[in-house]
Amino acid sequence: MPASQEKESLIQLTVDRVVEDSNTDTRIIVLARSDGGAEHFMVWVGASEGEAIKRAVDAAITPRPMSHDLVKSFGEHFGIKTERVVLTDVKGSTYYATVFLENKGVGRTIDARPSDAIALALRCHAPIYVTQDVWKRRSGQNLNAWLSKLETKEV
Amino acid sequence: MITQMQVKGLMFDPYNNAYIVILRDDEQSEMLPIWVGKSEASSISLALENVAPPRPMTHDFMKSYLDAFDAKVISVVITDLNENTYFSKIHLTYADSEYTVDSRPSDAIALALRSHAPIFASESVIRKQTSEELDQWLENLKPEDFGKLDS
Repeated sequence: MPASQEKESLIQLTVDRVVEDSNTDTRIIVLARSDGGAEHFMVWVGASEGEAIKRAVDAAITPRPMSHDLVKSFGEHFGIKTERVVLTDVKGSTYYATVFLENKGVGRTIDARPSDAIALALRCHAPIYVTQDVWKRRSGQNLNAWLSKLETKEV
Repeated sequence: MITQMQVKGLMFDPYNNAYIVILRDDEQSEMLPIWVGKSEASSISLALENVAPPRPMTHDFMKSYLDAFDAKVISVVITDLNENTYFSKIHLTYADSEYTVDSRPSDAIALALRSHAPIFASESVIRKQTSEELDQWLENLKPEDFGKLDS
């Protein structure tokens, strides 16, 4: 399948915010459609994974390189470009992501958890996509109300 | 001068609510404790116990990233200690060239264990660590402070 055709079936997402679910010590990554669509896509991740994404969203500077900064640093040393990340599958409540890398015309893909893929994409300014199929099967399609309740409760 | 170190285990530090990675040299004469966060400790623990999690954890992802382009970790060196912050360098080869990348020791150790690469510590780091303060701190630890991580 040509790359352009492949991309047509993808929906681009941007990280809207990271919400703390204090009941379970997890974080919810809230992704919004880049085309302005009102619906959101949510991924539950661990606390440290959520913090890694939040630091990138906030453009926070840490005294020492954190794990995903290190991956980015490897890329800068070797000339590896993170082209895009795609949320490719969901099994039960587990999402699967693929990271597309490129170096000197050679493309490689690696399997990743969405949290690592997103944490790296944000640091490398690479676009984040979800397949139409995974978008349709996303959990919490009507969770916006619930989410706002959760956020209000924390304040 | 650098000394090769082995990861001897992990301890919980109840006073700082953190974990300590214990490195020892082959003669068991030098010891280097490194304070790390919970998720970093968990990653090192998985590598030590040879546990393959159902999905790649961050350092497995890091290893996949390097493997995808045939970059190899040659060694890691804990180089400096400055106000309880450790510095380390990861030495790699990629496309017939050598590279040195700055990192936290927790990432360097987690990656070295997954890459079967040796871990070294510079002499100055070991010297700074063998202070009376540390010996005293270790003496005060109770046996129940030692143990496996539960996560």
